[in-house]
Amino acid sequence: MSHLTLEALTRRFPGAPHPAVDGVSLELGQGALLALLGPSGCGKTTTLRMIAGLEVPDAGRIRVAGRDVTALPPHRRNMGVVFQSYALFPHMTAAQNVAFGLEMRGTPRTDRPARVQEALDLVGLGKLAARKPRQLSGGQQQRVALARALAPRPDLLLLDEPLSALDAKLREEVRDEIRGLQQRLGTTAVFVTHDQTEALAMADLVAVMNEGRIEQLATPEAIFERPATRFVATFVGRAARLPATVVRPGLLRVGDAELHAAETPAAGAAEVFIRPHHVRPLRDGESAENTLPATLSRRTYTGDLVTLDFTTPAGRLIADLPGGSQGSDLRVGDTLRLGFRAADVRVFAA
Amino acid sequence: MIGLLLCLPAALVLGVGFVWPVALLARISLNRTTDMGAMEEALSLETMAKLVEDDFTWELAWNTATLSATCGAIAVALALPVALLIRSAPPQWRGLLSLMAVAPLLVSSTARVVGWMAILGDRGMINAMLAFAGLTDDPVRLINNWTGVRIGLTESLMPYACLVLIAGLGRLDSRLEEAAATLGATRTRTFLRVTLPLAAPALAAAFLLVFVLGVSAFVTPRLMGGGRVFVVATEIFDLALETVDWPAAAAMAMLLLGSLALAMALRAVVARVPR
Repeated sequence: MSHLTLEALTRRFPGAPHPAVDGVSLELGQGALLALLGPSGCGKTTTLRMIAGLEVPDAGRIRVAGRDVTALPPHRRNMGVVFQSYALFPHMTAAQNVAFGLEMRGTPRTDRPARVQEALDLVGLGKLAARKPRQLSGGQQQRVALARALAPRPDLLLLDEPLSALDAKLREEVRDEIRGLQQRLGTTAVFVTHDQTEALAMADLVAVMNEGRIEQLATPEAIFERPATRFVATFVGRAARLPATVVRPGLLRVGDAELHAAETPAAGAAEVFIRPHHVRPLRDGESAENTLPATLSRRTYTGDLVTLDFTTPAGRLIADLPGGSQGSDLRVGDTLRLGFRAADVRVFAA
Repeated sequence: MIGLLLCLPAALVLGVGFVWPVALLARISLNRTTDMGAMEEALSLETMAKLVEDDFTWELAWNTATLSATCGAIAVALALPVALLIRSAPPQWRGLLSLMAVAPLLVSSTARVVGWMAILGDRGMINAMLAFAGLTDDPVRLINNWTGVRIGLTESLMPYACLVLIAGLGRLDSRLEEAAATLGATRTRTFLRVTLPLAAPALAAAFLLVFVLGVSAFVTPRLMGGGRVFVVATEIFDLALETVDWPAAAAMAMLLLGSLALAMALRAVVARVPR
């Protein structure tokens, strides 16, 4: 049974030409983490705010643990929210911030200190309980916000871009911490982000949103490997994008070349997406479902990866190779054959 | 360098229009008044000592302080809901609402007093309504006494309180109140536990400003008090222009200035104490 259910959730802001959220429906199982992924203005934050009760939907229903909460004000929903700016109470210590939710939710006074300590220990800040937010670093504030949201044992943990204010190195660390904690406590969570790496790394389920609608709701692997729409293919991951014509099911004309694809739309103009990690240089005599002669036009070394730009009869193709692997030592101007599978050629009607 | 140069005109105006007269006043306060009532050049604290020993001075000080404190507190309390409303209003409305809140400042205080007379006078709006409703036989005295001054002063201080509170509360992050709500706090508890404590510095700043303005207010106590209300500012006026005792008027003014400076300094010290 699903723990969180959204049914045709819709929100239109007064004066806006398009709804911010337009008929969003989804189901999320107990203990799962859902990432709402999309560019700014796609409606992901508005969706989260509606789940929290901070925004009132114009239509649709929200159900949490079998209870319809659509009409409930935020203080009666039992959800833990971590805000983008953390929104810690500046006039309270870390411990008082965490205790606030316990007090408001009616935890007996005698139980509170232990619960506060437990929550702060959970995020590794047990020793900083007496500090005010301004005496804490960004990462520590983030952890206090997480402890505050989790302490009342919410039905649902909601996180609004919780990592965006942290620097790159810390972001990865906190990301893994949040995920670990969420799994350990078995808390069902919804996470808003515009960062695909974050979404793919943390979530059990990713909803890619665009213009108020869900473009695709699937596992991270499915989103990345089998994008359902052109938008998802463009927004998530890198790809060579080439204009194409569908000749017949399974066969495409791309530039001066013919390519095989596992799935093709109806005959006509189309666009082909080929991800860099699916393209590899072929050895002599080696074959693949699709092969193309290619000339290396640019080589970019980034340490763990070498990105190679090729000119082919089909157009420009990109290949990512692990640094030091076969083909990674090619030089600009070298010619070779490239191969990739028919299943890795994604085609969308233009 | 250019910045300093550009400040020169303002410095000049302040110097000629404020610093110099105050210095002059300070000098006059050290003069003596002869038994005949004439001013005698001197360098003594005699005039000031006389004032400090006089019980009437202390009565005036007490009247002024309690009047300003009461009216200031009421003005701030009345301005708080206005400022909160403006903060939660849609951004395109905030400018207009703020302007409306401070609009009374655009009317001369003398004109406002005349308006109050029409409302509060013996035959004014309120007494007419009370008589019409049969609630009173004789008019309720609402003007030309302390009640009138309290009403008038509160009204004239409110726009300043609004101005400070609108600016102060504007910086308060509404996410904090949302966070409180998601943690289970009702609107009332959110207000008492989050909004109010965070608004405290703005409330204090607003109160200090309107208190100081109230202490130095002259037009309202003079015109709405009907000659029955005595505060420091009216006394300075009377000493200077009625009694023509310039040293006493100057000494009284210096005492007032001194106590206000002391209040400001105290406030600065309090503000620096880490919470």
